Amino acid sequence: MNHDASLIDVRGLTKRFGTLTAVKDLDLRVGPGEVYGLLGPNGAGKTTTIRALLGFINPTEGSVGLLGGHARDLAIRRRVGYVGGDVTLDRNLRAENLLTWYADLRGGLPWKNIEQLCERLGLDPSRKIGQLSTGNRRKVAIVQAFMHDPDVLVLDEPTAGLDPLLQRDVLDLVRSRRSAGAGVLYSSHTLPEVEDIADRIGILRRGVLVREDTIASLRDVARQRLELRFAHDIPPGLLDGVEGISDVVVDGRVARVVVDGSVAALVDRVAGHQVERIVSHDDDLEDVFFHYYQHDEDGDAT
Amino acid sequence: MKGGIILVQMLRERRRGFLWWSLGIAALAVITAASYPAVKDAGRGFDEFMESLPEGVVQMMGAADGITTPAGYLNSQFYANVFPIVLLIFGIAAGTWSIAGAEREGTLEPLLANPVPRWRVAVERLAGVTLLLAMLTLIASALLVMLRDPFELSELSVGNLAAAGVGVFLLALLFACLAFAVGAATGSKGLAIATGAGLATATYVVFGLSSLVEFFENLRWSSPWYWFLSPSPLTEGWTFQAIGAPLLVLVPVAVIGIAIFHRRDLT
Repeated sequence: MNHDASLIDVRGLTKRFGTLTAVKDLDLRVGPGEVYGLLGPNGAGKTTTIRALLGFINPTEGSVGLLGGHARDLAIRRRVGYVGGDVTLDRNLRAENLLTWYADLRGGLPWKNIEQLCERLGLDPSRKIGQLSTGNRRKVAIVQAFMHDPDVLVLDEPTAGLDPLLQRDVLDLVRSRRSAGAGVLYSSHTLPEVEDIADRIGILRRGVLVREDTIASLRDVARQRLELRFAHDIPPGLLDGVEGISDVVVDGRVARVVVDGSVAALVDRVAGHQVERIVSHDDDLEDVFFHYYQHDEDGDAT
Repeated sequence: MKGGIILVQMLRERRRGFLWWSLGIAALAVITAASYPAVKDAGRGFDEFMESLPEGVVQMMGAADGITTPAGYLNSQFYANVFPIVLLIFGIAAGTWSIAGAEREGTLEPLLANPVPRWRVAVERLAGVTLLLAMLTLIASALLVMLRDPFELSELSVGNLAAAGVGVFLLALLFACLAFAVGAATGSKGLAIATGAGLATATYVVFGLSSLVEFFENLRWSSPWYWFLSPSPLTEGWTFQAIGAPLLVLVPVAVIGIAIFHRRDLT
């Protein structure tokens, strides 16, 4: 990728708070029309990276480039949309007051656009923000981030607390900005949230980018914990020697398995054995990318 | 971006709360003025009582002129205590909220993601605090001016009441500004309130005890309460120490606070 064309260009970013190094020597670039999934468990440095990018905190070392400049430049912030990690908007304001206030700060935006976004997300803008549920409050944050059609979106776990249907709506919004050429930095602590949308993914652990890859290659190595419930007791030996399975526990009609990469071989094997339910337990990134984390787990287990 | 959007929003959000503060301070002014004729009638007894008190206690009450003259009465019952204290509570709370409070509640970062410079948020919100404090002072002062005649306070000139109003406004603004600036520079709400309220209390004690304890008498030049109350603008009108001195402190304090806020890490 041509670095000059990067919309987000983080180089050698290190941020220390006292003795704690929150982010260490991080390089990260997001180009036009690209969604970059920044993954990592809580406390890995995702939010620190994003806050540095937005200019809320100053890098200890390195640089945080945005649209060819820095977030301090107002002309650049005008083209950026941001949803923060823990959304706190002025509780005493009605959503519509906050949205028009922010729109005024951006030089005025047609209320029709804002209203359409609210409708799309099912948000009643006449309610007071303090009286809204967590999910609805997040919608207000999402509307204010998208309402000016930004060229760069910086989204810090934007769908935490939203139900799956709304998650889908938000992902649709992200997709339409991507088609318009926007670059998107999308942080999350679960892989499933971003795997349908991210073009590239970076995995952050203890402030270090431990892996950066396309979603397709990560899928090959990602682990899944599956629970299969059969209609009858499982025939002995049914799950022996299946490609990609690294761990099997059979308990009557229930089998718990860990699969590396594709589940195709497993599904082939159990076909015709009346599997009633398959439950996935791959919400936890620590599990999903266990083997990447394992080697530096020694001595300082979290 | 047009200027004033943050200020207008702040005033809009504080409309309802401000109405209650206005009503409260108006009620205080009216009750204080309306009580004067009764105090004056009971005059001799009061003055004898006051004379029996140590000089320092009398000064702390703002009653150096006796409490039965209009100026002495208003100083001891209003300008030396109730009025500035109400203004201080309002001003320190609003000054702290402007940056440090908003930062703590989490509303500052989303606001600063908009194309608005930090210094502008700080300046407009400080302007809001200044404006609201000025309006509260104005309401009380205007009521006292209007109630001078019906309640036998007419020997006080409008000019002196105005000077006292500006003086008490600047006294409160000084500590509100300290809370604002410490909050802006550090992001700590607790430190901001502690600095504003703590210094207001400490300098009040220094002033009050300055005529009793020599140690404090040597320090009283540093107390904004001394600047404002000794001599009182109600009798002396526009004095440099009541009007100029607080400005000499609060302007640099605000500028330094805003300059640090402009570049520091948000918390």
